[in-house]
Amino acid sequence: MPDTAGTSIPVCPLAELPPGQMRLIEHDGDKIGVFNCDGTLYAIEDRCSHDDGPLAEGEFDASACTVECPRHGSLFDLTSGRPKTLPAYAPVRTFTTTVVDDTIVLEV
Amino acid sequence: MATPEAVAEKRELAGINADYKEKFGFHDPETGYAYKAPKGLSREVVESISEYKDEPRWMRDFRLKALEHFESRPTPSWGGNLAQIDFEDIHYFVRASEKNSRDWDEVPEDIKNTFDRLGIPEAERKFLSGVGAQYESEVVYHQVNEKLEAQGVIFTDMDTALREHEDLVREYWATIIPANDNKLAALNSAVWSGGSFVYVPAGVKVEMPLQAYFRINTENMGQFERTLIIAEEGSDVHYIEGCTAPVYSTDSLHSAVVEIMAKPSSRVRYTTVQNWSQNVYNLVTKRAVAQEKATMEWVDCNLGSKLTMKYPSIYLLGPEAHGEILSIAFAGEGQHQDAGGKIIHGAPRTSSSIFSKSISKDGGRSTYRGLLEVADGASESRSKVVCDALLLDEDSRSDTYPTIRIDENDADVGHEATVSKIGDEQVFYLQSHGLDEEEASKMIVNGFIEPVTKELPMEYAVELNRLIELQMEGSIG
Repeated sequence: MPDTAGTSIPVCPLAELPPGQMRLIEHDGDKIGVFNCDGTLYAIEDRCSHDDGPLAEGEFDASACTVECPRHGSLFDLTSGRPKTLPAYAPVRTFTTTVVDDTIVLEV
Repeated sequence: MATPEAVAEKRELAGINADYKEKFGFHDPETGYAYKAPKGLSREVVESISEYKDEPRWMRDFRLKALEHFESRPTPSWGGNLAQIDFEDIHYFVRASEKNSRDWDEVPEDIKNTFDRLGIPEAERKFLSGVGAQYESEVVYHQVNEKLEAQGVIFTDMDTALREHEDLVREYWATIIPANDNKLAALNSAVWSGGSFVYVPAGVKVEMPLQAYFRINTENMGQFERTLIIAEEGSDVHYIEGCTAPVYSTDSLHSAVVEIMAKPSSRVRYTTVQNWSQNVYNLVTKRAVAQEKATMEWVDCNLGSKLTMKYPSIYLLGPEAHGEILSIAFAGEGQHQDAGGKIIHGAPRTSSSIFSKSISKDGGRSTYRGLLEVADGASESRSKVVCDALLLDEDSRSDTYPTIRIDENDADVGHEATVSKIGDEQVFYLQSHGLDEEEASKMIVNGFIEPVTKELPMEYAVELNRLIELQMEGSIG
């Protein structure tokens, strides 16, 4: 389940994040990747659970809705935050996204 | 005084040991080879391997992406010295025979003679459930017991598995070791060829071991086999691999990837007796997943090679899964055995042990490098790591690099490490019982590694003891 703590932060106009694109945002020192998987939005923390390295800027497969850790190749399911391949085995945090007045909003 | 039997045995051993080259280090002429790729690594070489094997598009794409990972990653600077490897001075694909046979009589004469000399057909007749024999880049012989086949067991070479069981292969392929896991795994992923595919259906117990034997013949050869073992729920299998190569003055490279999936309540044991010639870099990635109540065991014996870097790992991802790593490393003159193991406790009530034994002599260097990790939530887990090193002279070296990460309060973890030398008193005591100095040293070494050899099937325990005795020859005086 996505983690929600009740704070809403605007990300960008929906038109600026078309399908197949990712946007990295920063909130309270944490980075979060927001992905558009063929029209559906997902957000995960920018941290691979294997060695805490950056994750969101890895290879993004919009049709499979996965991102590959650029450091050691773990493939993460963006819908659940769960790794589909080792060496990561623990899920990463996910966040709820909504669209309000054509703006993407992230619940953190 | 040594007994007449001991003297005779010593003479015999001295005769065999006169030359690894004679026993294992010979090479065959390359007449009749079907294909030998030019030296060097490029997109064209990778594409030609895939095309030559007539692979599906997804595999070709996987290889090319892996090549990019290999090229973008730096050569590791930790561990052994890899700076001397010239990746452009290697043949990445060599096909010795057009056929993969199920009958030794159909294997080309030279190759069959080689495996006869190595004793593989004889071992198959005596005590194995199945055998795969890889020569250069591809498997030239494969056979599995008919009863096992009838039970649904698949034991075949990886190239055949990709053709005949593509969906099954694709489901698990690179999920345990992704192409970008490390530089050498990326290299293997780009140019892999051969290796074994083992599938054991639920509840099936494979009583006798399956064995694969890997042989490099060509100079400046790279062997990159890829092995995948899937043990379904409640199944049981023991896989054994052995390897040798000719002695050359130039270096060869062996870089394998082995992935194992042990489903709930299954048991997989993977035994390696590595005896590459001392001009081979042996850089291998081995990793297993043990699901709920599964047992995974690596028995890893490293005797040969110039440099080995290999740390078999086990991810205990289901409650009550169990993992064991037994590692022996023998480093003689000019050798560096950088070995060890990794265990990750990712679920509650998991248990593990790592027993590492290393012996260094004549300036050889052995390194234990290990990781033990207990994740948050892996409560009531327990683990024991024991590393023992034996130095036979002042010139040899042993290093231990254990890493332990515990993120769970309710876990029981122990670590012990010892470094010892053969003591004069021990040798004197045995000499007083009629052994000469060399025999006494051998006995002490055999006693030192006994916790590992007792876990091997008898034939392999005898072979391992014999190989170590050969390595010990001339180490005294």
